[in-house]
Amino acid sequence: MGEVTAQPLVLDTSVVTAVARGDPDIIGLLQGYDARGRQLVIPALAIAGALLDAHSDEADDLLGGLELLDHVTIAPLRGTEQAARLADIIARTGLDPWDAHAAAIADVAIYPILTLDAAKWRQPSAALDEPLHIIEIADSDEHEPEE
Amino acid sequence: MSDRKSRLTITVDPDLSTYAERLVASGQAASVSAAFNEAMAEKAYRDRRRRGLWKARSDQADPARVARLMAHVDQQLTGG
Repeated sequence: MGEVTAQPLVLDTSVVTAVARGDPDIIGLLQGYDARGRQLVIPALAIAGALLDAHSDEADDLLGGLELLDHVTIAPLRGTEQAARLADIIARTGLDPWDAHAAAIADVAIYPILTLDAAKWRQPSAALDEPLHIIEIADSDEHEPEE
Repeated sequence: MSDRKSRLTITVDPDLSTYAERLVASGQAASVSAAFNEAMAEKAYRDRRRRGLWKARSDQADPARVARLMAHVDQQLTGG
């Protein structure tokens, strides 16, 4: 309820792949945002990319379960204009089609991209007219230097 | 749940309508209604299984780690 008006988050292939692999903490995190009412946008091509990486009946069911969350929208690739925009982003950024679809949605709608790997987005983001807003999922405890 | 069927009007793709009629003609479904009823029952079963799988996975999550991950994301979203 608290995040109904907050900006939707676009999931990149790394996050969708973590779901397909059954990562409990990522699934818990997405469920947490869904419970708060935060809109989550899943690019259809990110699902294709994730299933190339982790294809099994269980992966199919986990990604099918993602679609059943209350605040999840699957973003299709529709029409010539969107296909041309995707091709332009691939050419400019060097991203694969799976993540380029996330970039295309985020670039047009000005939504943040949720990723497990912010580093892979630095160069592609710099290649676009407006930099993308990249949000990294990371455990602060795992990055603390040991005393 | 009542055994009594509800009546509803639906619009379906022509190829699916043709397929349902073929199931009836070949004796694999009692009626077009039965064919669509069975398809919807199967979807309901699949969705239940998928929700159950999500619940099972999220039950295995480490709540403290999930809270840290969400706090880190929230911090970036609010520009903190």
